[in-house]
Amino acid sequence: MMLISCPHCGPRAQAEFTYERTADSVIQPDAAPAEAIEHLIARANPRGLDDEVWRHTFGCRAWLVMTRHRVTHAIEAIRAVGPEALP
Amino acid sequence: MNDLAITALSAAPLHVLEIWSDPPGVAKRFAATFGAELPMLGSSLQLPSMQLVRYEPAVWLIEGEIGGLEPVIGLDGSLTPIGGGLVRVRLSGAGWRSLLMEGGVFDAESKDFATGCSAATVIDHVNIRLLVESDQACLAYVPLSYAHDMIHFWTVAAESLI
Amino acid sequence: MSGPRRSGEPGTIRFTFDGKPLLARPGDTLAAALLANGIGLVARSFKYHRPRGIMAAGVEEPNALVTVGTAGRGEPNTRATDLFVYDGMVARSQNRWPSLSFDVGSILGLAAKALPAGFYYKTFFGSAKRWLLYEWFIRRAAGLGDAPTAADPDRFAQRAGFCDVLVVGAGPAGLAAALAAVEAGDRVILVEQDSLLAPSLVRDPQELDPAWAEATAERIRALGGRILLRTTAIGYWDDNLITLSQRLAEPGERPPAGTAQRLWHVRAKRVVLATGALERPLAFAHNDRPGVMLSQAVRTYVRRFGVIPGQRAVVATNNDDAYLTAAALRDAGTEVVAVLDTRPAPAGANSGFPVHNDAAPLATKGARHHLREVSARVAGKVVRWQVDLLAISGGMTPVVHLHMQAGGATLSWDEASQAFLPSTARQNVTSIGAAAGADPVGPTLAAEDPAKSFIDFQNDVTLGDVDLAWAEGYRSVEHLKRYTTLGMATDQGKTSNMAALGRLAEKQGVAIPEAGLTTFRPPYTPVTMGLLAGRTERDAGAHQRRLALYQVHQAKGPIWQPLGYWKRPRAYPKSGENLSQAALREARAVRTAVGMTDVSTLAKFEVSGPDAAALLELICATTVAKLKVGRGRYTFMLREDGLVFDDGTVWRLGVDRYLLTSSTGGADRMAAHISYVRQFLRPQFKVSAVNVQEHYAGIAIAGPKATKVLAALIDDDPPRHMSTVAATIARVPVLVLAASYSGERAFEVYVEATKAEAVWNACEAEVTSLGGCPYGMEAMEFLRIEKGHLVVGGEIDGRLTPHDLALDKMLNKAGAYVGAQGLARPALTQPGRKQLVGLDALSGTIPEGAMLVQAPGQPAEGHVTAAGLRVLDGGSIALGQLDGGFARHGEELLATSPTRRQSARVRVVAPHFYDTLGERYRE
Repeated sequence: MMLISCPHCGPRAQAEFTYERTADSVIQPDAAPAEAIEHLIARANPRGLDDEVWRHTFGCRAWLVMTRHRVTHAIEAIRAVGPEALP
Repeated sequence: MNDLAITALSAAPLHVLEIWSDPPGVAKRFAATFGAELPMLGSSLQLPSMQLVRYEPAVWLIEGEIGGLEPVIGLDGSLTPIGGGLVRVRLSGAGWRSLLMEGGVFDAESKDFATGCSAATVIDHVNIRLLVESDQACLAYVPLSYAHDMIHFWTVAAESLI
Repeated sequence: MSGPRRSGEPGTIRFTFDGKPLLARPGDTLAAALLANGIGLVARSFKYHRPRGIMAAGVEEPNALVTVGTAGRGEPNTRATDLFVYDGMVARSQNRWPSLSFDVGSILGLAAKALPAGFYYKTFFGSAKRWLLYEWFIRRAAGLGDAPTAADPDRFAQRAGFCDVLVVGAGPAGLAAALAAVEAGDRVILVEQDSLLAPSLVRDPQELDPAWAEATAERIRALGGRILLRTTAIGYWDDNLITLSQRLAEPGERPPAGTAQRLWHVRAKRVVLATGALERPLAFAHNDRPGVMLSQAVRTYVRRFGVIPGQRAVVATNNDDAYLTAAALRDAGTEVVAVLDTRPAPAGANSGFPVHNDAAPLATKGARHHLREVSARVAGKVVRWQVDLLAISGGMTPVVHLHMQAGGATLSWDEASQAFLPSTARQNVTSIGAAAGADPVGPTLAAEDPAKSFIDFQNDVTLGDVDLAWAEGYRSVEHLKRYTTLGMATDQGKTSNMAALGRLAEKQGVAIPEAGLTTFRPPYTPVTMGLLAGRTERDAGAHQRRLALYQVHQAKGPIWQPLGYWKRPRAYPKSGENLSQAALREARAVRTAVGMTDVSTLAKFEVSGPDAAALLELICATTVAKLKVGRGRYTFMLREDGLVFDDGTVWRLGVDRYLLTSSTGGADRMAAHISYVRQFLRPQFKVSAVNVQEHYAGIAIAGPKATKVLAALIDDDPPRHMSTVAATIARVPVLVLAASYSGERAFEVYVEATKAEAVWNACEAEVTSLGGCPYGMEAMEFLRIEKGHLVVGGEIDGRLTPHDLALDKMLNKAGAYVGAQGLARPALTQPGRKQLVGLDALSGTIPEGAMLVQAPGQPAEGHVTAAGLRVLDGGSIALGQLDGGFARHGEELLATSPTRRQSARVRVVAPHFYDTLGERYRE
């Protein structure tokens, strides 16, 4: 079980988080249909680093994008996505 | 540990304050009105009429009277009542930190989790929000439908704590 | 007199083994207590039913497996060496019939030639019928203890731990490391699988006074360190997370505080592995006989337990350590008749024993399952000794299991000690003490009878089996393992893997490190299933969510129905009524008068702010912004692929304030979806979407007299259909929504959950005064099926489009809602897709979940999603999904459920059986 450093809460157990999707599967509601379908169906699925969307579901509920190595589980980068927030 | 008491408190008015725009402006108005800073994530603020606990980047849980808040918020956020859905459970006695490690994943035994600190975490598969009241007590906000099971879980876990 | 014995007091702890009452001393393992009572034969082996005794003194024991405890506390396959005797312990031997000393299954051993390595796979050849026969025989003949059939009465706990330094193993190295860390101000956890600190010092007090261990532990505790005994580090996971199994009671014992074991998840900044080393046996013919023991184990029994495993002994070794065993035996009064050393010249550790160099055991002989004779080849000649104990040592294998589980870890080969040592690791982990290096050993002398020389004692694998696997073409260590089952028993090959690897390397003609290693998997030692999945303080392994009105329902003695995590009233039977009678009465009350039901579990979201409508028009596939204040509408939601995944209603409570309701079962999914759209896709929106599912309890009031009930309750005109007003009932503020799921004129009353009981009681008084009653889930299901309303998980199963569900006319034409692009895919408008239909029975009762076919044996063209009946008139009806269903109204089909052996002829109709014009909603 990984230890994930939430940008808001600090290091927390993976059990507090949910994996949601790969970053390249995000579909903007106003995207052109062809582009949206491309994101819906096709994934890069690399053996190595990939950008993933997670959520600190049982913590601060923030949405996160993390760059995670899919073999070693090493998290290279993590940032929160959401409305402007106070520190 | 026999000194632990697990008590469900009576219902209190609870609101969600969510700020959707200009948080620095709201913070400035708040400080000017109440003479204290809006609490940071993982902490809380006790005012005479209300207590504010920040569990999310843009959300504060407010317990008590919300009088005076609306002009502070203005058009930059909103208040939504949620008190019906949360049960306040007080874990009191020196062993509360140990008790929170049972079925948990959050380091409640850390020195950094001091009086006034708050944390949202998962305990025995239930999302729980914690607020440290003192070395002798911690308040847990438990979803209503899970409260009966959680109080039972804590009561039993307290019997074989180490 | 021969065999194991104990001098002095027998002890006062009473226990039984195979029904025989015995005594033990405090601190005895079961193995020590059995030896103290002169019992050397303890078990029958897995495959050949060979008589087995006690080989080791620790967790690596492959032979002495017993079942301990009774009924639900029974625990099979427990190592007698890792089990401390308690008063009243009941232990039984396994895998024998009718008794341990006379076991019919041991004829398998005589037929061992018929059961070589891989024999199980060989049974796959030939006819399937014959294999089934073999299977039946094998399953019964081979085996371990029986799993208990009664429920485990004890609790199992889970706990988190955090520390700067976790030290695994409280031997001298571990204690010293823990003390150094705690003195440096670190948060320290030190764990030890034994019940004793530094048990090796009791075995070898010449190293260090055992009192040092207790003093060190005191200091560690005084400085805030935590020491856990009877606690094993069983797994090493990502980011320095270590799982521990902590025994709060011995297996089979009634736990003092109700909790039998605790599973720890410890997150450590640094891990120190002081896990020690395990002794390797030697391979020779009949090396598995009771009386053949590992050298350090012999020394442990003598020094720690005061048990003398034999009166005349041979010690066989390839290293210096076994000479300490010879000395310990001599000190205890055992005659050491020979020390066999594989090394060609005396190694300087001599101390007056009759030492034979360049010597190793050839074979043993026994009598009545006990050791009687050891033979050896000494300087080319066969020499025999009449002895009852043979202590063997093939050198030490550092325990590298946890190191290897740490991920990306490597080992290095040490030729002198013939052992793998921990090398690099990705995580912050170091190995120290005997886990990090071993003493040099001499050569291994070739066994002369490989087919009788056991290497994996627990799975009955011999050197001959390795040779056979090689001869049959199994080259890689992974194949060897699976073909021979070597190392695959519950001991995971702790005493066997190195011997097998050596043999394989020899066959391959390579050095041992080149032969490769198999994976070290958690758990390090076996754990009981309860530790991972056992009973906690919950009924079914999951919490049961309680309704705010639980007490109100409970007082009516309802039939409860689990629904997801919720428990909801299914019906409120009157005395003498069964479920369907009660449900039908309740449903008829709704059709003819009025009924009320608890709808608190519906998902509810309060959405406020200038962008509230814009957010909802992303989430809902219908329009929302056009709603006037005080009005509501039906809506549904699409996944990004364009398929419907949920539905509900949306209400405009104020200019910038909406309430969205959706299905109970999809509540968490909807909360995540709304959060995703708002936080991730539209962070710039000025909107707050709050989950108020639990804040509001909900009561639905439905029926032709519902209007009258509401008027009396709120003392005002009730809102029109799909309108909402704020009101008070019993002086409690409520929100009234006029919406119907039953097909009748209906209202939903929402009230803050803490005040729900007063409102329910006020409603119930009005409802019953007009001849109505509360109704449960079953009646609700009847009503909605008859009306053709959808349910998430039934008709809305994530596979149908709005068009397939006949919802397409409600789509927001201009909308850029989630799923709009996915819905435009051509495949979703192809003809012949599954579509929502009604099914009217021509004869019989339509089975729940039935397939729709032309005739028996024909392919399924659809299925029944919900079966019900006409509430007032009777007659079986159903909703279903059917290929191209819209165009097939009037067609006859067979609804068949082969598993229930039920069928009914049905006519395909429109999915509305009641008030098709919707006139009863309005008045």
